[in-house]
Amino acid sequence: MELLERYMQAVKFWLPRQQKQDIIAELSEDIHSEIEEKETELGRKLTEAEIETILKQRGRPVLVANRYLPQEHLIGPVLFPIYRFVLKIVLLCYLVPWVLAWAGLLIFNSGYRAEHTGPGWISAWGSMMGSIWFAAFVAAGTVTLVFAILERAQAKSGFLNDWDPRKLPPVRNPNLIPRSSSIVELCVGMIFCLWWTAHMHSPVIVNLPSLRISLSSQWRYFYWGFLILALVNISLAGVNLMRPYWTGLRAAFRLLSDVAGLALFFWLFKSNILVEIAAATISPEKAAEFTKVINLVWMPRMLPVVLILAVVIGVVDVFRIVRARKMSDVHPAGTGKSAVMA
Amino acid sequence: MSPENFENLRLELRRGCLVLAVLAALRTEQCGYTLRKSLAEHGLAIDEGTLYPLLRRLESQGLLTSEWREEDKRNKRFYRLSSEGKQIFKQLLAEWQDIDSSLRTVVKEQGHGTSRTLHAGR
Repeated sequence: MELLERYMQAVKFWLPRQQKQDIIAELSEDIHSEIEEKETELGRKLTEAEIETILKQRGRPVLVANRYLPQEHLIGPVLFPIYRFVLKIVLLCYLVPWVLAWAGLLIFNSGYRAEHTGPGWISAWGSMMGSIWFAAFVAAGTVTLVFAILERAQAKSGFLNDWDPRKLPPVRNPNLIPRSSSIVELCVGMIFCLWWTAHMHSPVIVNLPSLRISLSSQWRYFYWGFLILALVNISLAGVNLMRPYWTGLRAAFRLLSDVAGLALFFWLFKSNILVEIAAATISPEKAAEFTKVINLVWMPRMLPVVLILAVVIGVVDVFRIVRARKMSDVHPAGTGKSAVMA
Repeated sequence: MSPENFENLRLELRRGCLVLAVLAALRTEQCGYTLRKSLAEHGLAIDEGTLYPLLRRLESQGLLTSEWREEDKRNKRFYRLSSEGKQIFKQLLAEWQDIDSSLRTVVKEQGHGTSRTLHAGR
């Protein structure tokens, strides 16, 4: 019976103080009754192995005791979906800038790159991972603490029960193009075109008495390229203003225009476009050196940024096409309000 | 459906019925162990980890009374329905009978509907 006493002691440890004796007395009586009944059936005392089987069937002591405890939770089922949503947002807002900053340091900071790829890379990576995890735990811990407090407040006041259906957000249509964004796009495009045609048509883009900046003859391709793209985007913004829902065709058009724009930028940064900088306050040698640094160092450094932008914009554009096509498959008649309810 | 899902749904379905069964059985005074055995004999097996916390909860709600008494040279706790418990039991029983009758009607109607659809399909 020593096994039984050990079992009862283990269960007792987890029970609430006020009810310990009472619950243990009742539980012990129940097990004794079961043992006694089996012994009567068999006509002999139970072996230790048989008692062990009975105790195993009853379950692990902490689980047995747990059934007598009131149900407790840090964040209950009412607040849990909101907690999970906020936690995802917080971690995303923390992790994405962190990864971008880290990638930027690794690409542009030669000292940081050498430290993380050189002989001492293990400790450098270890300290980096340590700091990211520490900050992530602090962020997640803070959110959890705030929601635990809200849970207590909700249990006392039931503030979540007080709500107004009229305050719910309007029905969202992912394919809707806000008219305000089309108007902004139109205005910005027109201002850009006016400025571009007035000031950027010549390879000598700055021609002042104190400063002169000349570009190579290739500039005419970029001039016309960017101008055509701006006009295409103005036309697209005009159509979007009239028909404010993305269709597969218009989304594909946006993708093509973005790809063309990024390709132009990529080519621009690789083409040693700057020919001459002449300033009254700088000597010709220094100006030539400056031109060289811009063409050979600064411009190539912009290429990874253009690449990252290309990937992000490309993913967004492709996602928009897929979404627009999906909606038109479900509701071929249109992408209007009926599609919203889908 | 996986057996695990079925088991969860089955337990969910039985949970409310077990309270009614315990209240019904405790119209006669019994200790926990004999109550468990008698329920099992009637096809309503309930493990001790569920029964004893349930008995405590019902007692704290004033539906049961209990007393420790010696029987067969051992101290045992005997439970029985309180007067409030008897009233609640009557109400719950009526409620359960209503649910049972409604459910039978729904199952019967849906069954007919399904068979009509099947015939039309052929």
